Amino acid sequence: MKHNFDFIQNLLGRTVYIDDLPEPANLLHAAVFTSPSAHGSFAGLDLSAALALDPTVRVLTAADIPGQNQLGTAVLDEPMLAEGVWHFRGQVIALVLAGSRSLARRAAAAIKLVGAADRPAVTDPRVAFARGDLILKPRTQRWGDSAAAFALCHLVVSGRADSAGQEHVYLETQGAIALPDDSGGVRLMSGTQGPSGVQKIVARVLGLPMNLVEVETRRMGGAFGGKEDQASGWAALAALGAFATQRPVKIYLSRRDDMTSTGKRHPYSSDFRIGLDKDGKILAFEADYYQNSGAACDLSPAIIPRTLFHAAGAYHIPNVRVTGYLCRTNLVPFTAFRGFGGPQGFFVIEAALDKAAAALGLDPVELRRRNLLREGDVSHYGMPHEGVLATETFERCLARAGYPERRAAIQEYNRTNPASKRGLAVMPVCFGISFTKMMMNQGGALIHVYNDGSVGVSTGATEMGQGVSRKLALIVARALGVSQTAVRVESTRTTTVANTMPTAASTGADINGMAAQLAATEIRQRLLAFAAASLQLDPASLTLRDGQLFADPEPAAGPLLSFAALVAKAYEGRVDLSAHAFFATPGLHYDLATERGCPFAYHVYGCALLTVTVDTLRGRYQFDDAIMVHDTGVSIDPLVDLGQIEGAFAQGLGWAALEDLRFDDKGRLLADTLSTYKLPDGHFMPRLDVEMLQRPNPKAVANSKAVGEPPLMYGIAGWFAIADALRAARPGLELAYDLPMTCEKVLGLLTGDLVPAGPSGGEAGR
Amino acid sequence: MERSIRFRLNETLHEIRLSGERLALDWIRGEAGLKGTKEGCREGDCGACLVLLGGLTGPAGASAPEAGGGMEWYSATACTLALSDLDGRHVITIEGLAQAGLTPVMSAMLDEGASQCGFCSPGFVLALTGFLVSGRHIDPVAAMTAVEGNLCRCTGYGSIRRAAVRLALEFADLPDDLPGRLAELGRRGVLPPSLAALMLAAPPPAARPPSPSTPGAATAATAASAATVIGGGTDYFVRHPDPEPGLQTVLVDQTPAARRIESLQADGADWLELGAAVTTSQFFASAAVQALVPGIERFADEIASPPIRNRATLAGNIANASPIADLTAMLLALDACLVLVGPAGARRLLRLDQFFLAYKKIDLQPGEAIAAIRLPAEPVRFNFEKVARRARLDIASANSALAVRLDGEGRIRQAVCSAGGIAAVPLRLAEVEALLTDALPSVELFREAGRLAAAAGTPQDDVRGSSVYRRRLLERFMWAHAIRLWPQLKLEKALFS
Ligand SMILES: Cc1cc2nc3c(=O)[nH]c(=O)nc-3n(C[C@H](O)[C@H](O)[C@H](O)COP(=O)(O)OP(=O)(O)OC[C@H]3O[C@@H](n4cnc5c(N)ncnc54)[C@H](O)[C@@H]3O)c2cc1C
Ligand code: FES
Ligand code: FES
Repeated sequence: MKHNFDFIQNLLGRTVYIDDLPEPANLLHAAVFTSPSAHGSFAGLDLSAALALDPTVRVLTAADIPGQNQLGTAVLDEPMLAEGVWHFRGQVIALVLAGSRSLARRAAAAIKLVGAADRPAVTDPRVAFARGDLILKPRTQRWGDSAAAFALCHLVVSGRADSAGQEHVYLETQGAIALPDDSGGVRLMSGTQGPSGVQKIVARVLGLPMNLVEVETRRMGGAFGGKEDQASGWAALAALGAFATQRPVKIYLSRRDDMTSTGKRHPYSSDFRIGLDKDGKILAFEADYYQNSGAACDLSPAIIPRTLFHAAGAYHIPNVRVTGYLCRTNLVPFTAFRGFGGPQGFFVIEAALDKAAAALGLDPVELRRRNLLREGDVSHYGMPHEGVLATETFERCLARAGYPERRAAIQEYNRTNPASKRGLAVMPVCFGISFTKMMMNQGGALIHVYNDGSVGVSTGATEMGQGVSRKLALIVARALGVSQTAVRVESTRTTTVANTMPTAASTGADINGMAAQLAATEIRQRLLAFAAASLQLDPASLTLRDGQLFADPEPAAGPLLSFAALVAKAYEGRVDLSAHAFFATPGLHYDLATERGCPFAYHVYGCALLTVTVDTLRGRYQFDDAIMVHDTGVSIDPLVDLGQIEGAFAQGLGWAALEDLRFDDKGRLLADTLSTYKLPDGHFMPRLDVEMLQRPNPKAVANSKAVGEPPLMYGIAGWFAIADALRAARPGLELAYDLPMTCEKVLGLLTGDLVPAGPSGGEAGR
Repeated sequence: MERSIRFRLNETLHEIRLSGERLALDWIRGEAGLKGTKEGCREGDCGACLVLLGGLTGPAGASAPEAGGGMEWYSATACTLALSDLDGRHVITIEGLAQAGLTPVMSAMLDEGASQCGFCSPGFVLALTGFLVSGRHIDPVAAMTAVEGNLCRCTGYGSIRRAAVRLALEFADLPDDLPGRLAELGRRGVLPPSLAALMLAAPPPAARPPSPSTPGAATAATAASAATVIGGGTDYFVRHPDPEPGLQTVLVDQTPAARRIESLQADGADWLELGAAVTTSQFFASAAVQALVPGIERFADEIASPPIRNRATLAGNIANASPIADLTAMLLALDACLVLVGPAGARRLLRLDQFFLAYKKIDLQPGEAIAAIRLPAEPVRFNFEKVARRARLDIASANSALAVRLDGEGRIRQAVCSAGGIAAVPLRLAEVEALLTDALPSVELFREAGRLAAAAGTPQDDVRGSSVYRRRLLERFMWAHAIRLWPQLKLEKALFS
């Protein structure tokens, strides 16, 4: 079959998400009561109005938790239900259960705090830093001697770069269903990227051993990192409800609750300093990244190193000093989002290059070209770059875009249009693949061949639309020599493959695909050995392909047996038709003390060129063309990979230009619904032209490369393309490197109006 | 108050009893068990809940539809749709389309990889199918416009665009008439043939009482009973996503008479009168409106999204009294008048700019409703400006409309200028109007208009823009009005030098 069964079901509207599952008769619906401000304390809750609404209403608080009230993983600093104090707006204080969802929501709205008092709140990471409020010790990576190198530079520029956070807007909000189990534990259906992570948290909260908590994830309606760690709390709340009532409980957040109470991409505020020689070669770079980590640790300690690892972008810099600070603020705990700290790092180095190019009077495209990574260059964390495709993807991209001519055409357009200006930017990418937390680079797979020849594959990978199931099915089908239709990829369950890692860091197909390939190969070998023995043939001469067994010297002789018949015989012959396999990414090592090592299995390269037209009368813009050349390795499924490239780019472009995630100084998220938070729509997107550069990658399954995150960086070009157009309108314009480049900023920069620090939060009604 | 409603869902007739108003989305997913209609935002902004709605239409006075001729089909978001509004209609969900397997719309999306997580997919399939059913021009640009109410967070829209283009080219030759088109779409599998046949037939007659002789009067009369008046529901249900149980609503009368757009002489003047149920889509598509305000249809795509425009009434836009409402800004510049009808049928006429009293406070007495909107019948030159953070499907940061009438020498004989987003109510810019009246368009004139507009109102800081930004937008809108209304003067050169 040409197509993925999942995608067919999607289009037929038959795909089942959490809220679509059949509801048990005695199901209770959950809603949450959350904190009203960024920081405060309370003495208790007045539940009278909520309980009076309906006899089914039940309210659970921290006191009802049988185990530990703790969601933290790296640091135990995040209670599931606030006890006496809250640290951010939207922190869950009570779980409300009722017979219907709207009743539960109305009951939650009827709860009142008793003895509540606000406390001072910090929302700015630099303020938190100044107060010494860091979640963990800062991390610094050094290479060469940047301080000494600056002295030798022809030009040194420094500046500040700020990037806002980003809401995931997975279209399916967070949700879970928990069922009490007669073992005394719970079973959960959870929309999570990491079922084992949910299992661990639920067990902890309920005070149960992990083997009494079973978690299943069929799929998610989008996740993008937002359901890596942060699905656990919602699942644990449902589990608590089910445990306390011994009834099934479903939680499915409203969009507003989801946007208010769940983590997002980290806002960063950074300082940079870059030094170059007179030819524009970068000699030294320093940066300090003040990560707004939010009120709790969450995944921040794993995100900061990814920023540091990508501090140099796709460039070779011989002298580097970069430091990341995890600043604790009274905002929602920020979390994983596709790119995982990488985009924030890329924005800073691109800002530094932009500023340097302007100071040198050099074409920014040329400046970037001169500094691209080359084969054998050693990164600032001591990893030699192998199989570097930076220059190749860059040159291909420029050629595809017709670069010098395109630039000339833009200049001509700008000369003749007083109220409209075009701009262009190019964005090379080099992105490291592997979890930055080393122990996470492991995965397992369990394959069953049923005795009719059909195949079931389980791994730790979760499907969220990224097509990992499709890739797993193709890998296993290839390894077993059967058609893809014979392979079903199962939902991800903690009872089938245990101790899995969340599907994240672009590694879902790499790690789980490799484990599945190992398991499939194991079964294939057993089948071939059995066939050889029973047919009395040399095992080396036998192959399985297209669902048939062949004896190879004479393929023309036709198949010996069908796969199904072989399996049936093997079953009778008491051959084990199931196999479990385990894969741990080889070759990784990292020394935290020296910040040196080889944290990545390999790197992904690519380049994008983006053009934009700015309406300088109204301060609006429209992106025109995006040309991308992306290093996919040998693509397991080009259609899936193309979708990942385009989709990631759109998210990056949204982050760079459109998505306006702002908090006021009281910690209130200003855009907390889709009517106020705007993400890319079809009209926003430019024409897309993607070339996949398919060079075999021996470091990953089937010579492929991971694809989920790297193309997101291309979107950063959106910021710089607009900046380029603004400079055409106002030559010599000084820019603040402040992302996203919203229409408001565009007009403010064009007119010279001061852009105020932030809105005070008035009426935003329609 | 219990009431019955009667409608067809896909190919099944339903007659249900309602004791209070509910969202159509909740009933479709709940009682009907059709989970292909998704909830992504519950406020009309994502399109995951998109359905196709069919109902009777026809020119004013047309009583019964001749074979299918009186049916119309459009897309709507089920999360902003009152369940009782299904009365007398036919609703199509993904299950109705998918009963015989993949349709060409689904196949095109499948081949192009236009579905990843799939949560948005049913909405896109319905939007594109609805486009093939009722799109005026079947071309790639129109196909992409048809999905402007649909968000996808996964694909980046490249694949969706490729699928839409493919479909537009493949179906470029569809007949224009609805019966012909439905038959063809049935033949080519876009619609299951049995469904296509039903889509032509009249839906079950509404269970609600027959419509009154005076449009609006019924609405007003029932409104007096403390029920809430609902037009398209696109504002009301966004503000009330979980309606109170037992909520009593009265739907704005949707009979052909209430949807009329007709010329009339009344109260001593010539008018173009728009009934209370006239929707945004209908307004922009109306030949009479376009004759009065040439070029106004260019601005349709800047308002909301197709499924919202298909439902959003002009009267609802006005009564909602948002200071930033786009249609209100347009109607203010067009010098509209409201016909208000009270419970006892008492009528009064009110100029639109006098209707807004304070933030969200309007001159509407208890039990009164907007029965019609009147525009003076003399054609005008018109421009509308809106800047929002996203070009499509977004509420404006600020907006402005300018309507002018010129004398023989090109002098501005009359100017009406509105502005939204800079005060607690939609404004008319009296100083700008005074400045422009009797003036010849020039750079200096519009620079001055810009200064006046920027100083008008009391803009606030909020998520959609700071006060400084809003003032600057107003200045730029005045310039933009000049550039658009007098292109031959090439004012942009001088304004930008
Ligand atoms: C996703 C989305 C996007 C939107 N985009 C825009 C946009 O770009 N520009 C814009 O201007 N608006 C926009 N809106 C707002 C809304 O669509 C419009 O204001 C619309 O015109 C409201 O009309 P309605 O018929 O749906 O109103 P309803 O929701 O039915 O009613 C709104 C209010 O008016 C009252 N009312 C309705 N009809 C009458 C009547 N005849 N007499 C007295 N009172 C009445 C109701 O009681 C209610 O209080 C958007 C809404 C959504 C959901
Ligand atoms: S659920 Fe988003 S538009 Fe209806
Ligand atoms: S496919 Fe996931 S939102 Fe569109």
